[in-house]
Amino acid sequence: MRPVYVIGAGMTRFGRSEVPLVDLAGAAALAALHHANLGKIPVDTVIVANMGAGRVNRQVAVASALVDRLSLWPAAADSVENGPASGASAVKVGYQAIASGMADVVLVTGVEMMRAVDGLEATDFVASMSQPEVEYIYGVTLPSLAGLFARLFMERYGVERRHLALVAIKNHDNAMKNPYAHIHQPITMEGILTAPEAVVNNPPVAEPLHMFDCCPVSDGSAAVVLASEEVAAKLGAPRVLVAGIGQATDTHAVHERPDPTDLKAVRLASAAAFDRAGQKPSEIDVAELHDAFTILEIAESEAAGFFKVGQAHRAVERGETKLTGKLPINPSGGLKAKGHPVGATGVAQLVELTWQLRGEASGRQVAKAKTAFACNFGGFGNNVVATVLRKEER
Amino acid sequence: MSEKVYAFRCTTCGTVSYPKHVICPKCRGETFEPMEIAGEGAVLTYTDVYALAVDYETRYLRLAIVELDGGLRVTGQLLDEDPKVGGRVRTTVGVVREPAGGPIHGLQFVPV
Repeated sequence: MRPVYVIGAGMTRFGRSEVPLVDLAGAAALAALHHANLGKIPVDTVIVANMGAGRVNRQVAVASALVDRLSLWPAAADSVENGPASGASAVKVGYQAIASGMADVVLVTGVEMMRAVDGLEATDFVASMSQPEVEYIYGVTLPSLAGLFARLFMERYGVERRHLALVAIKNHDNAMKNPYAHIHQPITMEGILTAPEAVVNNPPVAEPLHMFDCCPVSDGSAAVVLASEEVAAKLGAPRVLVAGIGQATDTHAVHERPDPTDLKAVRLASAAAFDRAGQKPSEIDVAELHDAFTILEIAESEAAGFFKVGQAHRAVERGETKLTGKLPINPSGGLKAKGHPVGATGVAQLVELTWQLRGEASGRQVAKAKTAFACNFGGFGNNVVATVLRKEER
Repeated sequence: MSEKVYAFRCTTCGTVSYPKHVICPKCRGETFEPMEIAGEGAVLTYTDVYALAVDYETRYLRLAIVELDGGLRVTGQLLDEDPKVGGRVRTTVGVVREPAGGPIHGLQFVPV
């Protein structure tokens, strides 16, 4: 397989889009293309990650639409839908195209415009990825699966609501330093947990999870430009190598897992990504994890191998996952505060990490970051894509 | 109540699955027979969810994963005023969702 490099990364500010879906995607794509500075080198393939435009925006075949908006004909174009893991799946497809020799320059754009519908419809749209016959019919939504998971996980490992609050506070703090983040709102332990007014400020969403344990509903788009070694060398771009990608699936219904607290697909996908990259979790300098719910940042950081099972909440307590800690997690603000336009999220994680490895994450830069890890979590952990990026010295 | 909820027993190795699989996750067998889900068990975990999908008028839903005696795990609605992990319940079948196309029946759990 040929090595594959990320040579450009860009995104829109997450939040609420004032422009149509394809213009939103076009803005992120253009930012990534400017960042890559391709000159006369053509983009030969365009891949779009999107989960629900067919339902929420009444538009399908978004990749064809984006090629047209960018006048990139006759580039090949494909749309990838893999639930909330669509973004990293699309990057994987682009990676495979270049690694196999079929393509030299691939533009991968993730986009979602979920605020085009009301909150109930958005929640139902996301819930429709749950198992239809044994979960969805009962009123299962993604927050409810997270609540069922959180109660089991917290009781087993002694995780308390204050640990979850620490994750939320950290990610809100990081997002304050990220101009692309949806939520710019500093929060405190008093305000969301310990003060009397916290019960009003932070109502339950799916017990034991409350509002400040959950990501917002966001519009947004993120894009990366991938290239072969030959193209990367010609451009003299900083060398951010896609060192390894791993992917794994698990049972659709959460209740069918022998141990529902074991995020097996995260474990297997991460192990495969590390194996292909020839690296260990202890060598990672910065990570973006899929904290659609605060409990998931804790659980994923264990399943990926950064902490022993049952220990991550202690590391959070010690501040190890803060920007200044041993392993900064979600410097972007994570899904919690940067926002979660579902199809864009997996790409946005890699945008942040590319900026971090290039030393371009001003205000939230992790010092001397050379290796980076992302976990993009689809369904409720039934389809997970993990990616290791590494900066190569030129 | 005539409505029933079924799991699927692999006729080769006896493994019971809910939901059904076309290939048995245990032995790769390909033939199954329906098995009515009914009986007692214990609450493995539960949640009160306020972030509801469409089709519900209520303020929140109490959902649970229950491990039935015999080992089969099922998700359903918990009709218990005082829920707790490990609490004993029995299955019943009721209307669990009412979309425009008509009511859907499914598993509900009541305290024993």
